Amino acid sequence: MNLEAVIVGAVVGVAVGWLARRWLAAARRRKAGGCAGDCGCSSKLKPKK
Amino acid sequence: MSTPDAGLLVALVGNPNTGKSTLFNALTGLRQRVGNYPGVTVSRKSGTCDLGDGQKVELVDLPGLYSLAAASPDEQVVIDALSGNIAGDRRPDAVVLVVDATNLLRNLFLASQVAELGLPVVLVLNQADVAQEQGLRIDTALLSRRLGGVPVVLTSAWKGEGIPEVRRGLADALSRRTPLKRVVWPADIAGALADVAQAAAADTGKTVSSADAQRLLFDTNVSTAERLGWTLERREKPLRAARDRVRNSGYNPMAAEPLVHYAQLRVALDGVVSEGLGKAGRTAAVDRLLLHRVLGPVLFMGIMLGFFASVFWLAKFPMDWIQLGVDWTKGVVAPSLEPYPMLQSLVADGILGGVGAFLVFLPQILILFLFIGILEDSGYMARAAFIMDRLFSWCGLNGKSFVPMLSGFACAIPSLLSTRTIEDPKARLATAFVVPFMSCSARFPIYALMCAAFIGPLYGPGWESLVMVGMHCVGLVFAVPTAFVLTRLVLKVKPQPFVLELPRYQMPKPRDVVWRMWQNAAEFVSKAGTVIFAITIVVWALSYFPRDASVAERIRAAHPTESAEKVKARAQAAYVEQSYMGRFGKAIQPVFDPLGFDWKITVGVLASFPAREVIVSTLGVTYSVGEGAEADSQDLRKAMQDAKWPEGPRAGTPIFSLAAVLALMVFFALCSQCGPTIATLAQETGGWKWAAGSFVTMTTLAWVVSMAVYQVIIRLT
Repeated sequence: MNLEAVIVGAVVGVAVGWLARRWLAAARRRKAGGCAGDCGCSSKLKPKK
Repeated sequence: MSTPDAGLLVALVGNPNTGKSTLFNALTGLRQRVGNYPGVTVSRKSGTCDLGDGQKVELVDLPGLYSLAAASPDEQVVIDALSGNIAGDRRPDAVVLVVDATNLLRNLFLASQVAELGLPVVLVLNQADVAQEQGLRIDTALLSRRLGGVPVVLTSAWKGEGIPEVRRGLADALSRRTPLKRVVWPADIAGALADVAQAAAADTGKTVSSADAQRLLFDTNVSTAERLGWTLERREKPLRAARDRVRNSGYNPMAAEPLVHYAQLRVALDGVVSEGLGKAGRTAAVDRLLLHRVLGPVLFMGIMLGFFASVFWLAKFPMDWIQLGVDWTKGVVAPSLEPYPMLQSLVADGILGGVGAFLVFLPQILILFLFIGILEDSGYMARAAFIMDRLFSWCGLNGKSFVPMLSGFACAIPSLLSTRTIEDPKARLATAFVVPFMSCSARFPIYALMCAAFIGPLYGPGWESLVMVGMHCVGLVFAVPTAFVLTRLVLKVKPQPFVLELPRYQMPKPRDVVWRMWQNAAEFVSKAGTVIFAITIVVWALSYFPRDASVAERIRAAHPTESAEKVKARAQAAYVEQSYMGRFGKAIQPVFDPLGFDWKITVGVLASFPAREVIVSTLGVTYSVGEGAEADSQDLRKAMQDAKWPEGPRAGTPIFSLAAVLALMVFFALCSQCGPTIATLAQETGGWKWAAGSFVTMTTLAWVVSMAVYQVIIRLT
């Protein structure tokens, strides 16, 4: 395998990995009752149980 | 968030649109979003406020409300926060009560209810500059004495006047711990309140404050009873007896509270406000024109047309400069990577082609948010809600639903959160369901691309603006009947009265408008540098691989007389068709064929389901890769204008015909293509049922309407 293929493979791999990690983090945030979007409003108020 | 030294918590409370968020920003140095219309703050925001003597407190900005009788979820948030009933938050140590200096009587009703909580209070009479303009003079020392000696401060938060006095007043309130003077109840009402408190305490075993007793006696809302754990069976009898006692003393139990409060407030305000000659009539005069039954909607449409025309006109040159910059970068980078064709294609076609195509729209986004900021801060947005109320009442919603829908034109996510201002849960659900129909700013790039590439060159700049306004109306046109079906047939929402306080017109504050524009630009660029960048690389990889090198040889052998350039272009096209993306797009394309979409548009549409703005970068990649390196200097618009159907009954005709261009825009106007919006809808409606319903309804509607648009126009042209 040549260096060009290694570089391209690494770039594509990092992009896929980053997108997957971001998607998983959003799912975890939603599960914890936080914001589902990208607007950063994770300090949503929740009444005491 | 850092915890201040003393660990003191101070809540900022007041009626909607009194300038709480502006005061919050002035006191904390933060940039919380502000707007010259009610309902901008729907969740908790906090920051550190320096009191000037080294002491720091945590200041919490809460949603605006008119009374402590919670009707909507955002009002309940304030009541829970003030009573220390919020998870992770304690009861505040003091309250900064913000009231509109031009309307003290109505604003002080909330203050007199807050007095029952017994917390130290600083009373801030904001918008003092407007009061002065109206010729009002307020004796703050007299008001302070009448209200029990609490600090009373006159401010003009948006001008930054009176802010040090608020800090000093807060330090004073915290050290002296002076609460507002409480209302004195007539004997029978006081007796009824005592009965309720006693019965609730006996049944629940909990301490019942006088504020709790008032909410139990006067409100139909059961949130206080539920918080105390006072069940319906146990509370029904004592509450009925207490309300009968109030009735027998000559008061309607549901109206006794405001009657008693206002009677005592009138006495407290006697001699506090003196009126002189002012300019109170200016807003009314402008409103006579802008809210006119016939002229109002006409002017509204005119303002919107001018708005979009200006966006196109002003953004044209900066967009060309960015395009030149992208082309120049490609021109410099691509030749240096000539020995490495795969890497060259990744950088030139993938990264620069995709991200560049997206970044070109930055000037339009900037100007769009500049105008939105000006319209909001000037006070015109609230008038727009008022004008739209007539349309909304027809479909079973009211103007209060318009505020979330209006902010949906920027982004659906905060708009879904702002539906919390709607009291009726069914009306709230119906509004949340139709909010994603609003044409958010993520749809803007695809409209702008299509208008700039096809509508403008073919029909002139006037049509560009008209189509742009039309596309922003498409969502609204379908949202109204959808809301009608939901409210009248499915949810059976009762008619909602609509009370909207129309703010005064004011000159937009340049700092706030520019700050909001800057924030949106930063978000746009950061999205281009992160999500769009990553998706672009993935789309490029799927459009590039697998790549069989023998394809070029076969094409050369099959076309021996053709020039090397032409053979190379044929090979590029063949490579893309054989790629994973090409095969996938071709397999799915028959579904979108009735809409006039070729496989490349189909790929763009499918790639845009997680986030609709991806379409532009995806088209940027697929058209760059397909056109080959020699086409790099052409921007996406040119590549799309030149694209033709390669085979079939439409062979040789432009792919982007007028019918296909309008069908594509309509598809994007109506389709549910935003993962975070669907997730937020699920979160706000308490499950996936309505979110799934929204996705299926919008996507089906998009396909059907887009197909109808294509088929009708293709037959007419």
